[in-house]
Amino acid sequence: MILDLHTHSIKSDDGRAKVENYCKWIRKKEIPLDGFVLTEHRQYDSESDYRALEDEYNLLILKASEVETDYGHVLVFGVNEDLLHSFDFANIRLPIQTVLNAAKENGAFAAPCHPGRKRVGLFSHYELSGPISDVHTVEVFNGGSIPGEDELSVKQAAIHGYKGFGGSDSHVVSRIGYCATTFESDSITTVEGLVGELQSGSFGPISLRPEPKNTTTEP
Amino acid sequence: MAESSGSVDIAEARAEWVGVEFDWAEFTIDKDAMIQWALACGETDERFIDPLHSDFQAHPSFTTHCMSGRLFPKNFPQIGGGFGIDGGKTVTAHLPIRAGATLSAITTIADIFDKTGRSGTMVFIVQRMEFKDETGALVSTVDWKMIKKA
Amino acid sequence: MKVLSYDDVELGDDLPGEIPDVSMLKVTAFCTAAKHVFERFVDHEAARKEGFPAAIVPGIMSQSLLLAMIHRWAPGCTVRKIDTVFRGTLLVDSKVTMSGAVTDTDDSARTVEVDLVITAEDGRTGVIGTAVIEFQA
Repeated sequence: MILDLHTHSIKSDDGRAKVENYCKWIRKKEIPLDGFVLTEHRQYDSESDYRALEDEYNLLILKASEVETDYGHVLVFGVNEDLLHSFDFANIRLPIQTVLNAAKENGAFAAPCHPGRKRVGLFSHYELSGPISDVHTVEVFNGGSIPGEDELSVKQAAIHGYKGFGGSDSHVVSRIGYCATTFESDSITTVEGLVGELQSGSFGPISLRPEPKNTTTEP
Repeated sequence: MAESSGSVDIAEARAEWVGVEFDWAEFTIDKDAMIQWALACGETDERFIDPLHSDFQAHPSFTTHCMSGRLFPKNFPQIGGGFGIDGGKTVTAHLPIRAGATLSAITTIADIFDKTGRSGTMVFIVQRMEFKDETGALVSTVDWKMIKKA
Repeated sequence: MKVLSYDDVELGDDLPGEIPDVSMLKVTAFCTAAKHVFERFVDHEAARKEGFPAAIVPGIMSQSLLLAMIHRWAPGCTVRKIDTVFRGTLLVDSKVTMSGAVTDTDDSARTVEVDLVITAEDGRTGVIGTAVIEFQA
């Protein structure tokens, strides 16, 4: 199955997409996603319940977080009560080791996103501060990357032996599914199931960016 | 855990300053500037470029340029460095704005938060300007995100 | 020419993409109208001294370029709300492209929501945004 592991809704300060509109867009545009994960910035959205949308659109909708560390941004899948009390999700200067340790201890899965990005990507910090031994998986395809960033992510992930996944990092509706992750399993139905599959390593990144249209005109 | 940006605690600044009104100003809407603005942006809709059109009005985001000169409330802490850059604008157009109208605007601090991005650690200061016409009707609301380096 | 009506619009529709004129002439005219004549917008050399690759298009102008695109797509419509995030610089005298897509429709209010993007010449996203557009009854 194919999941977009990195999306933002209006719950994020810079997100402009309503979750239902993501669902409508996926179905209307026949994007081959089986679901997506909402990774809101610096928080975990405990309140929202998307089960009705899951049923209506036959999509898996899971919740996770994107936190900010001294080694760049990190996605945390499988957030639970214990993990929420382990560190302050709103802190923009979290030590990455704190996040990785807390995720491991609480049955979650933490993985740096857009690692090829300047300042907020893992590999830019490797140049200055050396590698982190507990990292094993990174987001190598990110739909918000500028030219060169994903290429750097892929190259550096290979050098360090990291497993790679993909996510659109969409903040507006029409960018969902630009990048995603294909899993060998077709039976992920919960965030615990997702964490298990991520831990197993049976997945890979894919790009689903639409071909550019040549319809622009000068007014 | 305390959030901080330099010597300023962002959570404290947010608690103290969000909601504070700090500027009151008046702006007269100039017909020629309205037309020049719209034409420079490639506007072709007659409502915005033809002063003889029955529904002639300012371009929907015309109020985004209205600034009285005061950027922050008196005694506002020095958050981040430099003058700040424009991170984005949200405009709600409640009613058409007509040439010659005098709008009164009140500016409020709407939010303060920090985050990291390609440019490093940044502080966002969101200011909200509400514009009312001579009758007191709300015609435009502009939220402006000013980004400053932490 | 047939004028687009609410009933013609469907979720997923693309707005016709455009290449707006962001020449120094247009940007200077805009800055004059906006009383926003700063060197970084109207002088390439001065902008370079400030660390930019060239003069940059003001964020508020990019927002109005998108509005003009919307008005051409749906003449007579009323843009109720436009929300733009200025993510990267757009250079004066460069070739930038604007695009949009319908992401929601509301039959009762006769409004549609659109995603908006301006892409810089080098492929970077300069502006993203959304707008709520009301069609006449």
